[in-house]
Amino acid sequence: MAVKIRLRRMGQKKSPYYRIVVADSRSPRDGRCIDEIGTYDPNTDPSTYKVDEEAAKKWLANGAQPTEVVSRIFKSVGITK
Amino acid sequence: MHKSETVQGQCFWQKVYDMEKIVEQGLLYDFYGELLTKHQRQIYEGIVYDNLSLGEIAQEERISRQAVHDIVKRCDRTLQGYEEKLKLIEKFQNIKAKVSSINQLSEKLESGVQTDVGEYSAYGMQIKKLSSEILQEL
Repeated sequence: MAVKIRLRRMGQKKSPYYRIVVADSRSPRDGRCIDEIGTYDPNTDPSTYKVDEEAAKKWLANGAQPTEVVSRIFKSVGITK
Repeated sequence: MHKSETVQGQCFWQKVYDMEKIVEQGLLYDFYGELLTKHQRQIYEGIVYDNLSLGEIAQEERISRQAVHDIVKRCDRTLQGYEEKLKLIEKFQNIKAKVSSINQLSEKLESGVQTDVGEYSAYGMQIKKLSSEILQEL
């Protein structure tokens, strides 16, 4: 099963807030996710990231594919190089 | 403000806030999304709400990846065009920043840690200045 790590937008209109979720890539829009491993809040200056490092590393080691923006987040919090 | 080089096609607030593309697209969609067609909205929502790849949307919509790419590009251009003309996001961001400064100032006033009157009136002056700037911008 192809698993992806992606952002999912929460929060209100005009005040974006994202969860970093692990989800099956075959049913991307059904709202279900396998795991929630962090959050990304672009409203603060600078943006706030919270990532469960252990879970992120575990999912990456298991072959979960992060989207571009998620890999940038992982890089900036030092999970990947 | 960030000292970033000017990237072509970026508006004022993107430069200032050094935004991730998905955040920028999300904001554009919040403000002007209603002006897109239903089909465009459905595809664009996949990008901004669920961070889907072009390929995933293509598969879901049963259209080619190239078609999804073209639609997303066109939506980006359309929405940025609205922002260039209407500047609703720019105004929103400016006002939001000022209101949150006012909020912080009034919290300081409320906490009552100031001892001298001068400090009180300095905060008052700042609040007044910010609020008149907001009124001008409206």
